Amino acid sequence: MSASSILRMGLVGALMSAFAVPALAADPEPQYGGEMIYAITAETFSLFPGRQNGSQAQDTWLYALEGLVEITEENEIIPWLAKSWSFSDDGLKATFKLQEGVKFHDGTPFNAEAVAFVFNEALAKDFTYSNLLEGLQKVTVDDEFTATFHFEEPFAALLPNLAYRPMSIFSPTAYKEHGEEWMATNLVGTGPFIFEELVRGEYVQFRKNPDYWQEGKPYLDSVKIIIVPDVSARSAMLEAGEVDRTTSLNDFDVPRLTDDPNINLRVVNSTRQFYVVLNHTRYPFGNVNVRKAFNYAIDKEGIVASVFAGTGAVLSQAPTLSPGVVGFTDLRAEGEKTIFPYNIEKAKKLLKNAGFQDRDGNGVVEDPRGNELSIGLFGRKGATKGDDKVAELLQSMLGDIGVKVEIQFMENSAFGAAVKLSPEDAQYDMALLSWGIPTADADEPMMLMMYTPAWKPNGANRSFYSSEEVDRLTVLAHHEVDPVKRNEYIRLWMDELMTDAPVIFLPTLAFNLGTRSYLHGDRILSIDQYPARFAWIDKQEKEKQGINR
Amino acid sequence: MPLFGGHARDTVLLRLVVSRLLFIIPAGLLLITFLFALFHIIPGDPALLLAGDNAPAHIVEAIREAYGFNKPLPVQYMTYMLNVLQGDLGVSNFSRDPVVSLIIPRILNTALLAFWAMMFAMVVSLSFGCVSAMYWNTGVDKAITVVSLIGICTPIFVSGLLGIFFFSVKLGVLPTGGFNSWQSLILPVITLGAVEAALLTRMVRSTMINALNQDYITTARAKGVAELVVVFKHALRNALLPIITLFGLGFGNTLGGSVVIETIFTWPGLGRLMIESILTRDLPVTQGALLFFAMTFIVVNLIVDVLYAYVDPRISYD
Repeated sequence: MSASSILRMGLVGALMSAFAVPALAADPEPQYGGEMIYAITAETFSLFPGRQNGSQAQDTWLYALEGLVEITEENEIIPWLAKSWSFSDDGLKATFKLQEGVKFHDGTPFNAEAVAFVFNEALAKDFTYSNLLEGLQKVTVDDEFTATFHFEEPFAALLPNLAYRPMSIFSPTAYKEHGEEWMATNLVGTGPFIFEELVRGEYVQFRKNPDYWQEGKPYLDSVKIIIVPDVSARSAMLEAGEVDRTTSLNDFDVPRLTDDPNINLRVVNSTRQFYVVLNHTRYPFGNVNVRKAFNYAIDKEGIVASVFAGTGAVLSQAPTLSPGVVGFTDLRAEGEKTIFPYNIEKAKKLLKNAGFQDRDGNGVVEDPRGNELSIGLFGRKGATKGDDKVAELLQSMLGDIGVKVEIQFMENSAFGAAVKLSPEDAQYDMALLSWGIPTADADEPMMLMMYTPAWKPNGANRSFYSSEEVDRLTVLAHHEVDPVKRNEYIRLWMDELMTDAPVIFLPTLAFNLGTRSYLHGDRILSIDQYPARFAWIDKQEKEKQGINR
Repeated sequence: MPLFGGHARDTVLLRLVVSRLLFIIPAGLLLITFLFALFHIIPGDPALLLAGDNAPAHIVEAIREAYGFNKPLPVQYMTYMLNVLQGDLGVSNFSRDPVVSLIIPRILNTALLAFWAMMFAMVVSLSFGCVSAMYWNTGVDKAITVVSLIGICTPIFVSGLLGIFFFSVKLGVLPTGGFNSWQSLILPVITLGAVEAALLTRMVRSTMINALNQDYITTARAKGVAELVVVFKHALRNALLPIITLFGLGFGNTLGGSVVIETIFTWPGLGRLMIESILTRDLPVTQGALLFFAMTFIVVNLIVDVLYAYVDPRISYD
């Protein structure tokens, strides 16, 4: 290129950027008004956070209910109904200073008494989330806007757990007056929207809270959450402009929807990792070489590409924990894309070390006594996206190293019943499940998934895995309030999991959210929640797209 | 004025109607007992579904305690039966809504959908079936046959989704789903009715061909009666009995097919509620929904039987 043409290009570039910069510097100002219609997948849920914890329910409650703290997209904990907090020196007391001037939707005041009531009731009545408040003795009222949580031992994960949506503060007055059953069909909280109507299986209607404690918010006049069970119908509604936003679109539709200029499609990596429970009380899962072999035998990239269209899942970087979860460290080997990278030769060698070889050339390995290695896998369809296809791929991939896998697909309720049994009653060799961390903190899976006292039916340790070192590290991390030391314990915990390979670690899911481009200010969190409390609609853009609602 | 060709017949038929309607009560109670036993035999625990996959046992127990799932079975059964006899169908395990308030609006929606789909199917099948029979083995007949076969073979969800894609997304003339206006009825009714129409067209056609081959038809034609009168007054009248049977069965098919349509079109109907309640082991809702479905069948069968008697004076229910 000649010097003069470069110079000309440079001038044009400079001029263009001079005009472009002012436009980029000004973010659009939020506009007030309008109704947002949001389509979610069907789920039967109640409006009372004490007895349920499904993600759809949480995604609905958040318009009217708020908690002491909130979690951001970066998985940080920020003050919300609690202005600030401090811990006692021995770590046994956590004192929260609350926002003042906040009222519940029924007009009663939000104060320390309300907070104490909710949590003490949770302990007394064994609310569904009470296992995340392990060691909480009681909550006391210090003065009108100060409440203190009392613990038996220091509780490191208190704040992330308090951000867990079911721990939102509902109106004690309403609860005491009407009872728990009434709360199942009525939401009375402090949130930016007031619950108006619930038509079971069809929609939930909210209207703006004119007395909301955050000045100038919310922007929308109302929010209507409609229930649309069919994924193609949700997609059609978004494309036709009948809804403003929707979640859980088909991964294979993502490229097409991304190209649509009227639609804004976001994909976020979640904290939900697929894994295969290996029943350690059953032969041959007591042998670590077999467990490792199974891990190396799975082509995780293949799963991501074929089941999740390459975008609906990502390769896991650590056992159980994903980036953004407190305590996460990248444990991949140098230059590798995932933990236990796909390696058939290595898998076969490990199996051979465990005594399994294909001695008669029929494609299936046998033990030294000549018995074929045949294993059962419990699976289900539709509980989590891709669960049936992943099970089928597992069968074929394990078949490649000579293991015969028989899949038993069960309906969701039957599956749930089958995998909640004690080691004496459990009938499964392997079971395909996924683990999502709702608090984005390592404490939850540490205490519930790999811990010996958490063997089913107590916690959720379905592998009946037991390691003294893992247990020791779990307890240390649970009580360690110094974040640096705690992260070190969690890292050692993960190292143990890599050495023991108690389960088969599979890819991590990515969730999508599609919105019409005139909707701004809504968010997508890695914990499978999609807050749009402070969203706003660009009316001109909406008219331009021909939407007249 | 006697409706059915005689006062004595009228009385007999009235007795039939009353006894059939009374039969609904023992049938319903039997159905409820059967479902109660069934739900407690099959695996699956509603409390576990509420608490979530990873909940420890004591949390699940707490839910059972709060919702009364842990009372002894005979106690639960007696409480439920006593309530039913007073008209209280209980509350949903999950949402704690009274079952009756959950079901009533939805049953009306499903009935509306099924009714209009059947109307569509009946009109289409009667007209095309007769035309097909009249022009038997000609080009018209063959064309109608091909279209019917395509209709029978196309799965409902394929035609439904194609309809949504074409009319709602591309052309934007019809809504994608829900029930907000009379336009919302068009796509679901036609999709659901089309399958039934295709099936019934074939059957009407063969029934009519049979009827048109009878001797009295030849006689009527020989007498010089106009062809249209021959077909619609003489042949159809005699072919009506089997056709009414088919329409009655077709209504049953439609109620069943409505589950898929309700899912695709997000139609707030009973079929979808019933499936969801079974999958979540929500016994009170399942019992309520199935009770209403059973009652509908009994009533439809009753209407079919009464229509028989109206159409054919030779039929007697003594």
